[in-house]
Order: sequence, then C-alpha cells, then structure tokens
Amino acid sequence: MRRDDVRFAMAARDDGMRKISRFTWRAGAVGVVCSALIAAAFGHSVAADHGQGNGGQQGQGTIIVPAEPPAPAQGAGQVTSGAS
Amino acid sequence: MTSVATAGDTFSVFGTTATLLVSEPAAVQVARAVADAELAAVDLACSRFRADSELSRLNAAGGRAVAVTGLFAEILGVALRAARLTGGNVDPTCGAALADIGYDRDFALIRAAGTSAAQQAAEPRRVPGWRSVHLDHARHQVRLGRGAKLDLGATAKAWAADRCAAMIATQTGSGVLVSLGGDIAVAGPPPDAGWRIRVTDDHAASQDAPGQTVTIGSGGLATSSTTVRTWAVGGRRMHHIIDPATGEPARSCWRSVSVAAGSCVDANTASTAAIIRSTAALPWLRDAGLPARLVRGDGSVEVTAGWPGHWPPAGRI
Repeated sequence: MRRDDVRFAMAARDDGMRKISRFTWRAGAVGVVCSALIAAAFGHSVAADHGQGNGGQQGQGTIIVPAEPPAPAQGAGQVTSGAS
Repeated sequence: MTSVATAGDTFSVFGTTATLLVSEPAAVQVARAVADAELAAVDLACSRFRADSELSRLNAAGGRAVAVTGLFAEILGVALRAARLTGGNVDPTCGAALADIGYDRDFALIRAAGTSAAQQAAEPRRVPGWRSVHLDHARHQVRLGRGAKLDLGATAKAWAADRCAAMIATQTGSGVLVSLGGDIAVAGPPPDAGWRIRVTDDHAASQDAPGQTVTIGSGGLATSSTTVRTWAVGGRRMHHIIDPATGEPARSCWRSVSVAAGSCVDANTASTAAIIRSTAALPWLRDAGLPARLVRGDGSVEVTAGWPGHWPPAGRI
C-alpha cells in the first residue's frame, strides 16, 4: 500500500471516530435533557407523596385505624358528631 | 386516664360551631387561646371565601407558581394524601364545581339568601383532579393545572381539629377534645370513661338527638352527611360533597357516615369517601379495618370493624 493511501485511510478513520464521538455526546445530552423534562413533569407526584400532616404522625400509605374502636355508651353525649 | 370533671367552651369558627372540652378545668383559658391562634392561621391560609387567603390567591393565579407558607403547604399535602388514599374520591380540586352549583360564598350567606327558583346550576364540568396540583414542599411553591381551583374544606377543618388538640394537650398536659363542626379530635389523657360523643346527622343537633352515643379515648371521629349543608338551585337539591367523577353532588345510598380513625383527618377522609363510594363503601371500610356507622336514606344502619352495635336494635334511627 502506498504511503498516501495509508495517510488517507488514517484520516478517514480519524474523521469517522470524530463523528461517532460527536454523535455519542449529542445522544447523551439529549438523554440528560429528556430525563430533566420527565423529572419536572412527574416530580410533583413525589413531592405530594411526602406531604406531612398532624405533625408527621399520619401514615403516608394508609388511613390509620384507631387504637381502640369506639365503645358503647348510654345517654346523651358531651358533644355531637354530625355534619356541619 | 383521669377522672377530673371536664370544662369547656363553645364558639363560632369556619362558619360552624366549635366545642372545646378539657379534662383539667384550669386549662380551659389556655386551650381557648391556643385554638383561637391556630384556627385564625388556618382560616387565613385556606378560606375559599376570603380574598386575602393564600388559597384565594392561588386559585386566582391562572396556573402560575405561587409561593405559599409552610402551613398552607402542609395542609395541601394532607389534602393530596387524602386524595391518594381514597383513589381520588376526596379531591381538593372541586373548588370550581362547588362554585358552579352555587356554593360560592360562606354557607351562612347561602342559607340566609334561601332558595331562588330563578337560579340555574351551571353544566357540570370535569374536575381537573388532584394530580394536576404541583406542590413543591422544598420550595414552598404550588402550581395548579389548567382550570383547577382548590377547596380544602374536606380536610383542612379536620386537620385543624387534630392540630389544636395536639397543641393544647402538649401545652397544658390536660386531656382535650376539639370539635369543629362535628369533626372531633382528642388528645392527652381522656376522662376515665372516655369522651362521650353523640353520633347523629347534624352536629348542631341536641346531645340526645336520634343517633347513638359512643366513647373514644384517642384519635378522631368524623361524620359526613348529605342532609345538612344543603341548598336548592333551580328547584334541584344540592349538597356539598362533590363526586369528582361527575363534578356534581354525590348520589349516595348513605345519608350519613361516621368513622373513627387514628386522627380526625383520617376519619373525615374515610367518611367523605364512603359517602361518594355509596354501596362500595361497606367493603372498602371493612377491608381498611375502620370502625364506621353508615345510615341509609331510610334510616337503617350498618356498622363495620368494631363499631358498637346500633341502637335501637331494630336498626333504624
């Protein structure tokens, strides 16, 4: 193989490597941007899941049952529970 | 537990009646002062009928992000949690739907205005849904999706009852019961026999009104009903519990549902969801292990998960 051919082949290889490298970087950048957009779009759900209530005493995953169920009683109440 | 006689106070707040009971009579003044401060803060944050409230500013922001206080962020977080735990039954984005059916001012004003046959309800509109609320806890910022208007009435009042009860018990060491329009939270050492509560449709009814008396020693108890906060528009009866699936007042087989839970806000979340779920409420409450009392339109009663047997035994009230 002539020296010129070798030089041409090396230049073509370097050029190809540069193109692949540039493409890889661009694909990576697009991936990062897409990840950021997805995070921005769905981030509120995560934030909402961390909502605290009652000084953080409420379980996040379930409605908390009482320590004891109500007990029966006779007569009038001290207060009334009804809709307002 | 303590056998000390209770003392109490009754006052108006949030367009309804508040009752405060303490097991140590000397604690009643401090308790009232704590409650006044907390309830004023919650009202300023969450009232739909005050132009200067955080909620009103957010509803008017047209979808822009709005900075909110830590208190508002916490209460909104509680509302979103309620929505998530009920599969969206208890949805804070029902504000516009409520206004459309005439609930656009303090309920006392609606009641005073009476029924106007000329009024017509707007066509029901789709409720945007709780997932359209973007709450950033870290930055204390909230942004509402297109068309979303908040109403935090379902959970804010119950949360406020929990908050007041916890703060009063901490500051005074007394046992305390806080009732905000029938949403009841208790904290601290209860009386020996527990706190005696008459469960009925209307919180303003007498303490021996038709219903059932029970006692609780901790947590909360709440009742939701379609029979009390009602009005008429164009000859049609309305109530304030919106079914997010339709944007209209829920059509339920239950006229009232009472639930006991680990907190008042959890009890209120479950009782409101049960009204909306209608016939599906019974298995849902049983699966959740929540003691509840459900009253049908004809007065017949169902109970779940350890709620004491209904009285009278015929099963009607």
